[in-house]
Amino acid sequence: MRPGPFGLVPRPAAILIPSRPDSMDVLYQLPQQLVNGLTLGGVYALIAIGYTMVYGILFMLNFAHGEIYMIGGFAGWWVLHLLSSGNRLLMNAALVIALMIIGAMAVSGLVGVLSERFAYRPLRRAPRMNVLLSALGVSIFLQNLVLHFQGAKPRFFHVSALIPQDLRVIEVGGVVFSFMRGLVITVCFLLMGILTYVVKRTKMGKAMRATAQDIEAANFMGIDTDRIIVFVFLIGSALGGAAGTLVGMLFTQVDYYVGFQAGIKGFTAAVLGGIGNIFGAMLGGLILGLLEALATSFFPSAYKDVVAFTVLIVVLVFKPSGLMGERIREKV
Amino acid sequence: MVNVFLEWGTRRSYRNAFYAALAVLLILLPYVMPNNYWLRIYSMTGVYVMLALGLNIVAGFAGLLDLSYVAFFGIGAYVFALVSSTQFDIHLPFLLALPAAAFITMGFGLALGSTSIRLSGDYLAIVTLAFAQIFKLLLLNLDQPINITGGVNGIFGFDPIVLFGFRIVSPVAYSYLIWIAAILAIVASWRLKRSRFGRGWEAIREDELAAEALGVSTTWMKLKAFAGGAFVAGATGAVFASFQDSVFPNNFDFPQLVIVYCMVILGGLGNIPGVILGAILLTVLPEFLREYGAYRMMSYGLILVVLMALRPQGLLGSVRFLVKGKRRPDKDETGMLRASTDLYYTGEPGTDDARPSYAAGNRVVLELQGITMNFGGLTAVQDLDIRLREHEILSIIGPNGAGKSTVFNMISGIYPPTKGTISYEGREINGLRPHQVARAGIARTFQNLRLFTKMTVLDNAKVARFCRTRAGVMSTLFHLPRFRREEAETENRVREVLSLFGARLTGYRFDQEAQFLSYANRRRLEIARAIATDARVLMLDEPSAGMNPQETLEITDFIKRLRDVHGYTILLIEHKLNLVKSISDRVIALDYGRKIAEGDYQEVAGNERVIEAYLGRKKAKTAASPPGEGTEKT
Repeated sequence: MRPGPFGLVPRPAAILIPSRPDSMDVLYQLPQQLVNGLTLGGVYALIAIGYTMVYGILFMLNFAHGEIYMIGGFAGWWVLHLLSSGNRLLMNAALVIALMIIGAMAVSGLVGVLSERFAYRPLRRAPRMNVLLSALGVSIFLQNLVLHFQGAKPRFFHVSALIPQDLRVIEVGGVVFSFMRGLVITVCFLLMGILTYVVKRTKMGKAMRATAQDIEAANFMGIDTDRIIVFVFLIGSALGGAAGTLVGMLFTQVDYYVGFQAGIKGFTAAVLGGIGNIFGAMLGGLILGLLEALATSFFPSAYKDVVAFTVLIVVLVFKPSGLMGERIREKV
Repeated sequence: MVNVFLEWGTRRSYRNAFYAALAVLLILLPYVMPNNYWLRIYSMTGVYVMLALGLNIVAGFAGLLDLSYVAFFGIGAYVFALVSSTQFDIHLPFLLALPAAAFITMGFGLALGSTSIRLSGDYLAIVTLAFAQIFKLLLLNLDQPINITGGVNGIFGFDPIVLFGFRIVSPVAYSYLIWIAAILAIVASWRLKRSRFGRGWEAIREDELAAEALGVSTTWMKLKAFAGGAFVAGATGAVFASFQDSVFPNNFDFPQLVIVYCMVILGGLGNIPGVILGAILLTVLPEFLREYGAYRMMSYGLILVVLMALRPQGLLGSVRFLVKGKRRPDKDETGMLRASTDLYYTGEPGTDDARPSYAAGNRVVLELQGITMNFGGLTAVQDLDIRLREHEILSIIGPNGAGKSTVFNMISGIYPPTKGTISYEGREINGLRPHQVARAGIARTFQNLRLFTKMTVLDNAKVARFCRTRAGVMSTLFHLPRFRREEAETENRVREVLSLFGARLTGYRFDQEAQFLSYANRRRLEIARAIATDARVLMLDEPSAGMNPQETLEITDFIKRLRDVHGYTILLIEHKLNLVKSISDRVIALDYGRKIAEGDYQEVAGNERVIEAYLGRKKAKTAASPPGEGTEKT
């Protein structure tokens, strides 16, 4: 290139125009990534709650929880599918969204309760590894059940009709995000709020907390702990199902294999926050989501999971009880 | 083969015949396979047998929930792939590539294990799962910027194996290679199981704290199991890679792990014949279900759930063929229950000569200085000094919650004291881990019985010999002289210790599982275990709790004999003051973590504060009225 006047190399005009920053401009991306992180984090938190509640009472890792999330996704898809023809909805969009979430929660809750009844309750007194493997069995069974009846191809959510015309993108203080992200964040926090109320303020919540502290003592005090356990599975699975449908709407697809990854993430979040602690699970979910979102600013996106899992390992090695968990000292 | 005919009818000859039949079977089997497809499945069965046996070391023997196992399998395979292919143009001969894969994998196992092995059960599972996920993501993505793993496409086309001049290329040759390796893995598993390692792992699996307190270095042993599993997985990975002539990330994914776990569980954790059977069943059966697609995996899941509910111990879990000992040793050949000797106490268990030759000396053996223990805000023990003299029986009494058991826990290293020093034979021992305290010569029993309930009486006691034996892995695997000598020693010493209790713990009881013992016998076995560590100081935490008056009398006498005849120094926690009265040289009374009285029994029992502590302030006139059997729960 020939030097121009004053010996300067003429620059391409694009540099001079304030333009889209390139992908390395972390600062510009930060608010955007925060929104992404919050969306993911809310979803992770919902999944993590299911793990953590079950663990808090039964000290078991419900490996099948990821599949319950996946089933929630499919349930939501079916509700949408049945309530629309082509891209046209048969009723009000808000109602459809509500029905999708409620339907997913109902189906997932039911599957959770059934799995408790048939796969975990017979093993209440068995060694923990057995219970874990039974859960693994449920996971494999559910995954292949769905594979058999729904096939291996992903199902696509035709969500365009669900989004109000004037709200395709929402802009708040320079941060642009889609309607779906807003929806996911809102629903996640709403559900977590309801759960917090139930656990802290209701009689059922009190019974749950008592059962989590000491299942035998709770039993002696007249709490039907079997019922509490069913209730815990119901709530945890319903929240997982809601998460499944929300993610389905957000990424517009679901397949039989999504449960595994989501399960591991929810599980990671639960452990990160201190497994057994509901608020820890919420916190852990949000942290994990934000972390992943930020990781994509610094690393190739293929490595975002590597970052998440590395953080998990580091946290566990240095603070094995998680961020909010209490260390349980074995009594001698 | 000659032996078979010469010694026909003896137990040994049956065993030799069995081996001979097995050898013939293994030589013939590759030729019986109808086609190459089934020959391939036959070889894969061998691979899975190895893989399952490796996992059995970690999950079965040591009870560690290792979810990174499949990643270790993958590391072995990829290391092999990298050093014997054109990927980096490194072409190591198989006899170097195989150990390289195994040892490098073991290195990874040690690295991951040493950071995470202290985590208990589920947390270990999570960390290892995370590691496996990271490994898979790296496999998938490390094809850029430089191509290491080949990404989704994997690596393929390896150098053919050349062993001692033979090129191993044909499927039959591979099946021989794989099954020879599998048989080596089987033999190694057996030998490990029947050694101090096997017993140590089993003890850890049953009750980690008790194992530690008996001198088993639990952390180190768990790490060894972890590394051992990784080693087998790595070696298997190398063999598998060569057999498949390619490696893909999908070979080392979660479902693969699930399958291997199913094999181990199906057979029964720790049960070697069971695991082998599990591996064979789960490799061959699915072939018949292949055409049913998703049903196959569904049935996998269902089988797992149903099996866990119906036979949690696995298919061969309690079928004890090939396992030493009879199933019900308390029954004789005709099926009648043998008479229990518990009811007839003769006063003189054991046969050793009962001349008392030891009495309390003056030399201080164990000294606690200014010991304080805080649990959060609660001070369990405050500023306590205790001097235990040689050959002395020193009792600690006090109401529930006085801090007695906490004192034991501090001495044995379970809780490090907040303040103060503990020294044994002039050497400071606070800060030592419990197994180091046991090795130094202080052994304890537990108030709430921590026996290894599913191990036999003999094995329970043998665990205590762990800290007195040194045989390493090599010695164990090759049955070197040291291993043989130590095993014989262990056997003798343990029988000797158990015979101190006469018929209570000997004879047919040797092979009885601890869970079938009577309560009093369990307490006796706890003491026997402590003695078997060769400790000189025994700390007995309520040795007579739950015993009837007759048994209490017997155990009192026994403890006295331990000192008088055998010269043990004994620190005792006891609630039954009659027992304390009849054997203690000195008594220390604790209340609210402080020493309130010290001296001989009469002094302490007459002490105002002691009476107050036991009976309250009012109307404390009768001094020695025993406070009754407390069932203190710490």
